[in-house]
Amino acid sequence: MDVQQGTLALMILRTLEVLGSLHGYGIARRIEETSKHRLTLNYGTLYPALLKLEQEGFVSTEWRQSDNNRRAKYYALTAAGKKQLARETREWRQTAELIAAFLAPRREAP
Amino acid sequence: MTRIRALLARLAGVFTKNRADAELTEELQAHLDMETAEYMRRGMAPDEARRRALLASGGLTQAVEAVRDQRGLPWLESVVADARYALRTLRRSPAFTAVVVLTLALGIGANTAIFSVVHGVLLKPLPNRDGDRLLYLRQSADGPGQANISFSVPEVDDLRTGVPSLGGIAEYSPWNLTLQGDNDAVRLDVGLVTGNYFDVMGLAPLLGRLTRPSDDGPGVPPVMVLTHDFWMKHFGGDRGIVGRQVKLDGQSVTIIGVLQPAPFFPDRIDALLNMVVSPHHVSAMMVQNRSHRMTEVVARLAPGATVEQARAEVAAVYARLQSDHQDAYDPGSHYRIAVTPFKEALGARARLTLWLLMAAAAFVMIISAANVANLTLMRGVRREHELVVRAALGAGVARLRRLLVVENLVLTLLAAVFGVVLALVGVRLLVSLAARYSPRAGEIRVDGVVLGFTLALSVALALLLSFIASLPREGSFASWISAGVRRMSGSLRRQRLQRGLVVAQVAVSVVLLAGAGLLTRTMMRLSEVDSGLRAEAVFAMDVPLLQLSGGPSGGTDPMAWFRHIMELDVAAKEQYERIRSEIRALPGVTEAGLGSSIPLAASTMTFDVKAEGQALAVGEAMPRADVRTASPEYFRASGIPLLQGREFTSTDRGGSGLVVIVNKTFADKFFPGEDPIGKRIAWTGPLLKVSPISGDWRTIVGVTGNTRDGGLDAEPRASVFMPFAQMLSIGGALVIRADSNAPGLVAAATRIVHRIAPAAPIVRVLTVAQIKDQSVSPRRLNAELVSSFGILALIIAAVGIAGVLAFSVSTRTTEIGIRMSLGADRAQVQRMILREGGVLLALGLVLGVAGAFFATGLVRGLLFGVAPRDPATFVGVALVMLAIGIVACWIPALRASRIDPAIAMRSA
Repeated sequence: MDVQQGTLALMILRTLEVLGSLHGYGIARRIEETSKHRLTLNYGTLYPALLKLEQEGFVSTEWRQSDNNRRAKYYALTAAGKKQLARETREWRQTAELIAAFLAPRREAP
Repeated sequence: MTRIRALLARLAGVFTKNRADAELTEELQAHLDMETAEYMRRGMAPDEARRRALLASGGLTQAVEAVRDQRGLPWLESVVADARYALRTLRRSPAFTAVVVLTLALGIGANTAIFSVVHGVLLKPLPNRDGDRLLYLRQSADGPGQANISFSVPEVDDLRTGVPSLGGIAEYSPWNLTLQGDNDAVRLDVGLVTGNYFDVMGLAPLLGRLTRPSDDGPGVPPVMVLTHDFWMKHFGGDRGIVGRQVKLDGQSVTIIGVLQPAPFFPDRIDALLNMVVSPHHVSAMMVQNRSHRMTEVVARLAPGATVEQARAEVAAVYARLQSDHQDAYDPGSHYRIAVTPFKEALGARARLTLWLLMAAAAFVMIISAANVANLTLMRGVRREHELVVRAALGAGVARLRRLLVVENLVLTLLAAVFGVVLALVGVRLLVSLAARYSPRAGEIRVDGVVLGFTLALSVALALLLSFIASLPREGSFASWISAGVRRMSGSLRRQRLQRGLVVAQVAVSVVLLAGAGLLTRTMMRLSEVDSGLRAEAVFAMDVPLLQLSGGPSGGTDPMAWFRHIMELDVAAKEQYERIRSEIRALPGVTEAGLGSSIPLAASTMTFDVKAEGQALAVGEAMPRADVRTASPEYFRASGIPLLQGREFTSTDRGGSGLVVIVNKTFADKFFPGEDPIGKRIAWTGPLLKVSPISGDWRTIVGVTGNTRDGGLDAEPRASVFMPFAQMLSIGGALVIRADSNAPGLVAAATRIVHRIAPAAPIVRVLTVAQIKDQSVSPRRLNAELVSSFGILALIIAAVGIAGVLAFSVSTRTTEIGIRMSLGADRAQVQRMILREGGVLLALGLVLGVAGAFFATGLVRGLLFGVAPRDPATFVGVALVMLAIGIVACWIPALRASRIDPAIAMRSA
């Protein structure tokens, strides 16, 4: 299943909030695991999304040595990113509730 | 915020491409390695792990592309790529590029230069506050010199009380004062103004203060405001000038401020003062005499009022004035009043000339654009192959069109850069032209608006050039790709367009040349005009000795001021005679005379005049004549021929009988077919009361030839000369005739003036040739400018014809080869090509002559001595165009006839 338009940014921000700073591979693995491998992220989807977040100022980047000693680019949430995450989470909850209410099984009339 | 930030980041991304690409590759590689390592950890073989990781990545290249699109601004990058490509293409065809850029640069340069003048002089808002609400009032009457007679103080007062839609009416009286320096004297052109003047004009001081209503009337100290130009020129922009005392006509005057730069009308001035500086201006004579008109009027529209309202109200007040004061408005002279926006009044003299030049420049632009269009069309044919390849690789019509637009933009912007450089040079020349027509010449700049105009022009040209090239409709590419077409079809249509452009070029060139021809003939006719003076080894000096301001204020006794002036005049006359006789004694001087003004300069005084025993018919305009004075030697020194009677003699002095010499125009007007000698005339009219001249009868003792005092293009006016000794020396000029080297004597004469009258300013020293030239040179510059545009157009059009024919020959090489191998000889081939060009030429000529027939009527006002549809000029222009056109056709025709049929057919 491909990731839905507009939701990837939220997933990335949330991942960085939970796990702290992380490289692209780590983000991809975490999202795939969290989705129980229902989602697969190819590079062409992930990296433009990361770049967009960086351009918008929601994440910052830094080249560092990884745990197994290879250089990797690490992404971390910025203050603006935290705010954006909170805002988007709130919006998603509302949307989800709304949709859930609409799709709730119809009750028989008493 | 977020969006702007993202946009900036992407913009930056456009320029940091290489480094970012390297980083991205490393990042993706790291991702791949980590994933591979993970698969291996789970027990896969290294190869298999690598394969699986690659599979999961979804393709590295695609990822790089996706990130790149996100990183920069893809459309911008492709435009940059197009521009780079365009530059490369243009570098590869340097001849084409050079011709196009040069042609366009000439057109753009001419237009930029002329537009900067039009903008500075006619269009730009005035520096005055709410300058578009300023009005200029002009009173005029029939007769020479009556086009702008200004207003008297009672007239201004009536307007002030009777026209509510004018919120403020300010008075401005042009005057002359002598500024006495430590060891020099300068004649100043000043304006005497009412205290509300600056408020009405909406002008602010640069330094100090301006005059205000408390500076009005008699009994206040005289104060002076310097104009910006004069402050810079004479005081070197000294910021400590405010408060300084200077001597003006013997009075002490305080400089109170410096005015912001601003244009003045009708003449440029050096300073503005309150009226009190001239006792005459605050005297009863000036303030009460309705005919004593020496005040200019500027008014500001009241809030909410319109120009039409003001016009209607002024007309109503003026009609009432005329019926109330019939003595001041001779019905035969048709007194009238005009209300024009101040900005229009400032531009009035320049308007026709400038729009003519703008039109000429626009024509040059049209012709050069047509040439470039033709070149582009021809080049388009050679590029069809390239476009087909691009289309085959997936470029759509829109993409190809954009490529063309970018290419043409590169060309026109390059041309614009050169054009602006040309314009910067040209504007300097044009400023001196404009200065003769407009007080706003100093405001001419190649500024933001002008550059905006140039940019808009260049972009418009680029779009035009891009859209005349026909691209096939979307979807039809496939057919001609598959057909392997090397040449797009539609060449017939394209050729028709090319030919149409050539015809247009020829036609526009003819119109332009006709204009140039007429202006050149005007200039020639003008310099052929007989000025009325013999010989050119004559020079004249304006040396006003009499200082009219200062002396007793005329508050109580209006004649006191006159008496004071009369006393000064006796001393001045003595000085004049000493100067004259010493200059006469200089070696090389053959004659020296004195007069009220230099020859060929208009007199500043015009009076009503009557002849003894002649009555005016009812409704006939009151005759007027210029008042001039002359010493006995004046006519001989100037070379003005005496036609009848005698010259003045040294016995025509104060006490003896009053005598005058009139010019031929005057004699013909008053005494047609009669001998005027011995007849008597007298000055008359309401103005006499305010002048030092009596209305006594004066006997005519001589008649002189006419001189062109109002400029060479103006008919001679009626003039009356009085003996220099019998009249107040208002003005004062020396005329000096030398046996050869007149300019060489100027220094010696100047020294004599300075020695005898150290306090006298020398306003101007001119040879008669220079005086004549002042009248001819603006026309010459006009003629030269339009002619150079015409010649430019001719050259470009000739190149255009030759180019199109050459192209036609090159596309028909095979055909010509076949014709020749079938027996056509060289002459026949030549005739064929000549005929092709001749048709275009003839068509262009016919259209051009027809166009010129209509267009030249518009410049009637700029012509002199030649009709707008002067047949000689039209025929001459047509012949020139024809000759150049035939030469332009001949070159490709010759080339066609040299085609070797064997080679032509082999290469087909």
